[in-house]
Amino acid sequence: MKKLLTALFVVLACVTLFFGCKKDNASSSTAAPAASTAAASSSSSSSASSSSKSAKLTPISVLYGASVTEAGALPSDWPGYDVLKNELGLDVTFTALPSSANDQAQRIQAMGAADNLPDIFQVDRNVLTNLVRQGLVAEVDDMYAMMPHRTEMLYDENSIAHTTINGHSYGLASPGSIAGNEGLLIRKDWLDNLGLDVPTTLDELYDVMVAFTKDDPDGNGRNDTYGYGAYIETNTSDKGYPGSRLLPILGAFGVEGIWDMTEENAGLNIYKPEFYDAIAFIKKMHDEGIIDPNWLSYGKDDFRAAWKQGRFGIMKEQNAAYASESNYAPFDKNFPDGEWIIIDAPIGPNGDQSIGPWDMSYRIYAISQNAVDEGKTEAITKFLEWMSSDEGYMLAGFGEEGVNYVLDENGLPVAGDLGDMSYTGSKGQVYTQLRNMVFYNGDMELASRYPTYTTESGKEMSALKALREMQALTWTPQVGVSTLPTPSADVQRYYEQSLAEFITGGRALTPENWQAFIDQFNRIGGKAWNDQGVQWMKDNNLLTK
Amino acid sequence: MKKTSQPVVTTTKSGLAVSQEAAAVYKARNKAKLGAEIKRHAGVYLLAIIPVAYYIVFKYVPIWNAQIAFKDFMARQGVLGSAWVGLANFKEFFNSFYFWSLIRNTVMYSVGKLLLSLPLSIILAIAIYECTRPILRKIVQTLAYLPHFLSWVIMYGILLALLAPGDGVVNDVIKAIRGTNVGFDFLTSTKAFPWVVLFSDAWKEMGWSAIIFIAALMGIDGSLFEAAMVEGANSWQRVWYITLPAIRPVIVTVLILKLGTILDAGFNQIFMLYSAPVYSVADIIDTWVYRSGLLEFKFGLATAVGLFKGVFGMLLVFLSNFISKKVSETGIF
Repeated sequence: MKKLLTALFVVLACVTLFFGCKKDNASSSTAAPAASTAAASSSSSSSASSSSKSAKLTPISVLYGASVTEAGALPSDWPGYDVLKNELGLDVTFTALPSSANDQAQRIQAMGAADNLPDIFQVDRNVLTNLVRQGLVAEVDDMYAMMPHRTEMLYDENSIAHTTINGHSYGLASPGSIAGNEGLLIRKDWLDNLGLDVPTTLDELYDVMVAFTKDDPDGNGRNDTYGYGAYIETNTSDKGYPGSRLLPILGAFGVEGIWDMTEENAGLNIYKPEFYDAIAFIKKMHDEGIIDPNWLSYGKDDFRAAWKQGRFGIMKEQNAAYASESNYAPFDKNFPDGEWIIIDAPIGPNGDQSIGPWDMSYRIYAISQNAVDEGKTEAITKFLEWMSSDEGYMLAGFGEEGVNYVLDENGLPVAGDLGDMSYTGSKGQVYTQLRNMVFYNGDMELASRYPTYTTESGKEMSALKALREMQALTWTPQVGVSTLPTPSADVQRYYEQSLAEFITGGRALTPENWQAFIDQFNRIGGKAWNDQGVQWMKDNNLLTK
Repeated sequence: MKKTSQPVVTTTKSGLAVSQEAAAVYKARNKAKLGAEIKRHAGVYLLAIIPVAYYIVFKYVPIWNAQIAFKDFMARQGVLGSAWVGLANFKEFFNSFYFWSLIRNTVMYSVGKLLLSLPLSIILAIAIYECTRPILRKIVQTLAYLPHFLSWVIMYGILLALLAPGDGVVNDVIKAIRGTNVGFDFLTSTKAFPWVVLFSDAWKEMGWSAIIFIAALMGIDGSLFEAAMVEGANSWQRVWYITLPAIRPVIVTVLILKLGTILDAGFNQIFMLYSAPVYSVADIIDTWVYRSGLLEFKFGLATAVGLFKGVFGMLLVFLSNFISKKVSETGIF
């Protein structure tokens, strides 16, 4: 009996393994993205009557960037599925990308290496360049004319230039995050408690940081506050090291970001003497403990939890992360009398001032070469054109009328009294997971995304108002900076490691050591990176006066 | 004179000289015996199908794809269609600016973990084995196993809560003792970081690694301990003269097998814990491969490094097994 049971178990396990691994040829002729658990398909919501037509449906797989990454996948009862299936004859499978940029790159490149990319997928420009080199991505030059409405809404000369490689457009770049949506914020209530004015210069900012650290600005009698808060948010296109959150400090020295894109000083900022001064200033902040000492270990979430707990009084933050209802609520609860205000970047010793480099931000959707080879071009453009139609736009952006949104007196979609199922509610927000495929940052979208609200403590808040204030700050225009060449991994490590060591004291910050660092940087490929970047700026008319 | 025909003689594995007919009978019997044995243990053989299939599909079949280590891998052309580039991928790795630093860090963490975790696992196993209170033993065992099931993402959160310079528990104690508001940043100090890696790994894996030693301890004949007690041996002497010698073959086996992965220093752990200030002591081969190979679509380079690690590990296993057999007459093959 024991043996019989064992044999039965083994046979069952083998059968499960066999059928678990078997490719589902019935639903799709192409391999679906790996994480099928996160995927939802129009097949799952199909009605009985339409199932008879399934043989005629064109399968399309989409790997999308979710709008609310911490929420679940697009539900199988999303009404758009029925339209896609019954009216357009498309069997679309949606799979969400991981939220972290590195995980996204790894996932897409692994799929690329297996020549198993989905038909449509969101991708950043660096990864796109790798895939184009491999011949895995299709040219989309002809697709723009095949979806005139979507092209009019989302694509223009600049967006097409953003995805143009060797004379061909290899991706459909739609407006991404809103440009200029970050700003420098300071605790107004702390300034008032200490009788300080809003700082306008770097020296004044330094004095305020010291006061916030040492003079108990929250009045709780404990030595538990710091002047500045940050975390390392870096890249190799515009932010550089020590990253985006310290750009207003670097801007005071005229070295915000990795590159200088002016005609007279084009090249890496690291070569400017002012960069040394900026690093010396940040080192001083670190050594004197006026920047939250956890800043080198914080992730984004830790940083955001920290300001909501009142750990520091000055930071650079994004408009919605600061002012949207759900993000502001914990701070409001902890500090009913607390108040952040948006201030401009401090003016440095030579009169320089900048919140950071400003570039157009795009979200690229690429089409795999396999999809085009399989004759899916027309189906893909049909799908994308529908997504930008009035019906597709509202379904993807706000869900179903009466269920996820209602229209106000101005015809704008609002949450109304729909509670959790509204497009901003905890249950309803998953119906808007595709909104980044259709949004174009128009006024209606922004008004709907960032409504004015009153907090529990009675403050009137608006992420849209914060956005407009942030956009009006002093920025450095660097259009096209995200298309500049990136360094090799070794050069990048050397660059980041050396700057980090200078700041933390791992290497003494002296002119001699700095010069040795620059010399070695040049030898291992830094100079070549600089020269390639400058050449790219010249070739693509990116230099500014 | 009639010549007497001599029987054809063959030799068995055991060196016994027997006639060919006898050898045939011997083979047939062995074959029948093997068949009977397989039939008798059919359930076990059936159970083995899944792990064997796993190893074939996920370990042996990919060996075919290892050839991309010598190719400029182009996904559209596939493994066979990509152009041969000889040793170019290996040269790129060996000529990396950080090659020796990567090797040093990788070996430092591997050997360090071996030297720290192995003795701790053995000590924990003996402590659990010697514990005479069953409830206490179970509680300790469970608590010791628990961290193994936490991902390094969670572990990083715990370590940050403990070690963060601003408000970490350890730093709160340091600040209280020193009477200052200045903590010590364990995670960004090049001096402290290696110790954080080694001890956090030991903490996470010690309980899990102890299982194999506990299993070995269970196999020791209890009469040996009884005899030793009669002879007046105390607890330490029993551990030293009975327990440790009894589990020596297991220790040697674990040690030799660990040497096979000496160039795997723990990607997940380092990747979660490291940051720019500690790259010089934190960057290991696998994190370099992640940045230079996978994120830059250089799968040939990534495979070349994997192949290098595999061959190096295999050579170490053979070498250590050879030395172990010479010195202690214990080995794994």
